[in-house]
Amino acid sequence: MGAAQSASEEIRELVGKTGFSSDQIEQLRRRFKQLSGDQPTIRKEHFNNVPDLELNPIRSKIIRAFFDNRNLRKGPSGLADEINFEDFLTIMAYFQPIDITMDEEQVQLCRKEKLRFLFHMYDSDSDGRITLEEYRNVVEELLSGNPHIEKDSARSIADGAMMEAASVCMGQMEPDQVYEGITFDDFLKIWQGIDIETKMHVRFLNMETMALCH
Amino acid sequence: MALPGPSTMFLLLPFDSLIVNLLGISLTVLFTLLLVFIIVPAIFGVSFGIRKLYMKTLLKIFAWATLRMERGAKERNHQLYKPYTNGIIAKDPTSLEEEIKEIRRSGSSKALDNTPEFELSDIFYFCRKGMETIMDDEVTKRFSAEELESWNLLSRTNYNFQYISLRLTILWGLGVLIRIALAFTGISLLVVGTTVVGYLPNGRFKEFLSKHVHLMCYRICVRALTAIITYHDRKNRPRNGGICVANHTSPIDVIILASDGYYAMVGQVHGGLMGVIQRAMVKACPHVWFERSEVKDRHLVAKRLTEHVQDKSKLPILIFPEGTCINNTSVMMFKKGSFEIGATVYPVAIKYDPQFGDAFWNSSKYGMVTYLLRMMTSWAIVCSVWYLPPMTREADEDAVQFANRVKSAIARQGGLVDLLWDGGLKREKVKDAFKEEQQKLYSKMIVGNHEDRSRS
Repeated sequence: MGAAQSASEEIRELVGKTGFSSDQIEQLRRRFKQLSGDQPTIRKEHFNNVPDLELNPIRSKIIRAFFDNRNLRKGPSGLADEINFEDFLTIMAYFQPIDITMDEEQVQLCRKEKLRFLFHMYDSDSDGRITLEEYRNVVEELLSGNPHIEKDSARSIADGAMMEAASVCMGQMEPDQVYEGITFDDFLKIWQGIDIETKMHVRFLNMETMALCH
Repeated sequence: MALPGPSTMFLLLPFDSLIVNLLGISLTVLFTLLLVFIIVPAIFGVSFGIRKLYMKTLLKIFAWATLRMERGAKERNHQLYKPYTNGIIAKDPTSLEEEIKEIRRSGSSKALDNTPEFELSDIFYFCRKGMETIMDDEVTKRFSAEELESWNLLSRTNYNFQYISLRLTILWGLGVLIRIALAFTGISLLVVGTTVVGYLPNGRFKEFLSKHVHLMCYRICVRALTAIITYHDRKNRPRNGGICVANHTSPIDVIILASDGYYAMVGQVHGGLMGVIQRAMVKACPHVWFERSEVKDRHLVAKRLTEHVQDKSKLPILIFPEGTCINNTSVMMFKKGSFEIGATVYPVAIKYDPQFGDAFWNSSKYGMVTYLLRMMTSWAIVCSVWYLPPMTREADEDAVQFANRVKSAIARQGGLVDLLWDGGLKREKVKDAFKEEQQKLYSKMIVGNHEDRSRS
C-alpha cells in the first residue's frame, strides 16, 4: 500500500509540474520505459531505438534538444548526459496543445516558451544569438539527404534567408554595419502574427477503456 | 508381537496393490482415450469436433469469470476498467508539402509571392514529426505483443492475473500435461517415421508414405498445441512446382500450414533437436536446408530454389519472406528473393485470434524452448488460414513490385495492416535508401525553385 501511495503522489506532483493529465503521464511513462530499456534514465544512444526518427533530417538537433540544459531549465548552457522521466516530461511539455480555457497572457507565455525551444535548436553554442554559421548549419542539415545539392547552394540559401531576417529585424542597415546574429527578441519579432501554437503541438488521443484485474 | 506383524503386513498388501491397480487402470484409460480421440483421428485426418467444443466452453468460462470479477470489484469498490489505447497520439496525416505551404502562407509578408524558399518556419514540420515519433512510433509498436482489449485469464497478454478458482487451475494443468505428452509423441514419431521411410527405395510408394508420415505427425503436433484452425478456400492450395508464401508470426506457422498440405521446407540448418528433426525429414523427401554460410550467398540460394521449383515432381516450397516474426497485426516488407525465381506464387494469409493465446514470438526476448512452453501453456491457439488464388509476375513488374502486390493481397485478406517497413528493423538499423527519400523531397522543393530563380 505504501508503494502505491507514493506512486500516485509522484504522479500528482508531475501533473502539477508539467501540465499533463495522469493518464497521459502513465502512457508516457510506459513509452519512457520502452525507450530506456527499463532503466531509470535515457541517454542519447537510446534514441537509436526509434526507427522512424532516422528519416528526420534534423534528428540530431531534436535529440540534442532533449539533453539541452536550457530546455531542461537546469542552466544557461551545456548538455546533460542523461535524463530521467521528469526531464522527459519537461521536454514533452513544450509540445502540449494550447488550452482554450487559458487567458491571453497565459497563451502568450506558452507561445514564448515554444519559440524559445525552437530558438535553442538553432542557437547551438548557447550564446543567445543565431549567427550566420549556425543558420547555415541548420539549412545544411535540412538539405543533407539530397546528394545532388552542392554545399554552395545550401550556403547561398542560408545567406539569403539571413539577409532577409536582418532586414526584418534591423530595418535599413548602414553599409558598414554588421549584423551579429538573430537574438531571441528578433526571433520573436519574425514570428509575430504567425500562429505557431497550432503547429507546434502533439495531440493526445482519447483513451478507451480496457478491463483491468487486480 | 509376532502375530500383529504378519497381519499388518497382510493388511498392507492388498491396500498397496489396490493403489497400483487403480493407477494402472487410470493410465490405460488415459492412453486409450488419447489414442481414440486424438492420435487416430490425426492419422486419418478426421476430427471429432472436440476442439471446437473446447473453444466454445472456454469462451463461456471467460465470460463467467469476467462477470465474477466485475461483481467482486463492485463489492470492494475497486476501479475495474483502466484506460487503454492503441497508440497515444493522433498523428497529423498532412504531407510535408502541404504543411510547409500552409505555414508559409499564414505568415509570409510577401503573401502573394508563391515561390517557396527556405524559411525559419520549415523547421516546424520536422521538429513536430520528430517529437511524434519519439512519443509513439509505428515500427516499435508492431513488435510488441498486441495488447488485448479483453483478457483471458493468463498473465501474459494482459499484465494482470487473478486466481479465479482451484478447479480452473487444475483443468489447465491437466491440459498442459496432455499436451506435453502429445508433443513428445508427435516429434518422436516424426523422427522415427521419416528415418524408416528414408530406408525405402525411391519411388511412388516412398513418396506416398513420406507424405502421410509427415502429415500425421504435424496433425499430432497441432493437437498438442490445441490449435483450432479454420481453413478457407482450400481449392487454392499450392501445387507442385510452386512457391507458397505466407506471413510469419511464429514458428508454429509451419506446423499449421504443413498439416493441411504437402510442402518442402526451406530453412537454415540448426543444431540440437531441430537439427535432428531436419536431418530425419530430408531422408524421406527432398527439403531444402541451407548451411549458415550458404544463406548469405543470395545467388546460391536462388539457384537451389530454382532447381527445386523446376522439378515438377517435387513438392511446393514453403517460404516466409518477411524474414522475422511480426506480432500479427501487420505485414512487413517482403524480401524480394523468393519473388525473383519466376515460379507461380501461392499466397497464404494466417491470422491468429489473440483472445485465446498470443502466438507472437519476440525472438530477441524469448528463446525457442521458452516460447514453445508458453504456447503449450496457453488455453488454445485459434487461427484462420486463407488460401489466396495464385499469382505470377507480370512482364512489366520487377521483383520488388511483385512482392509488394503479393503482400498487399495477404494483408487485405487477413485484415492486417500493410506496412512498408522492413521486418529486419527489429534488429538492424534503417537502410540508408529510406533515409534519403524524405530529405530528397524537402530539398527538391527548396532547391528546385531556388535554382530557377537564380537562373532567371
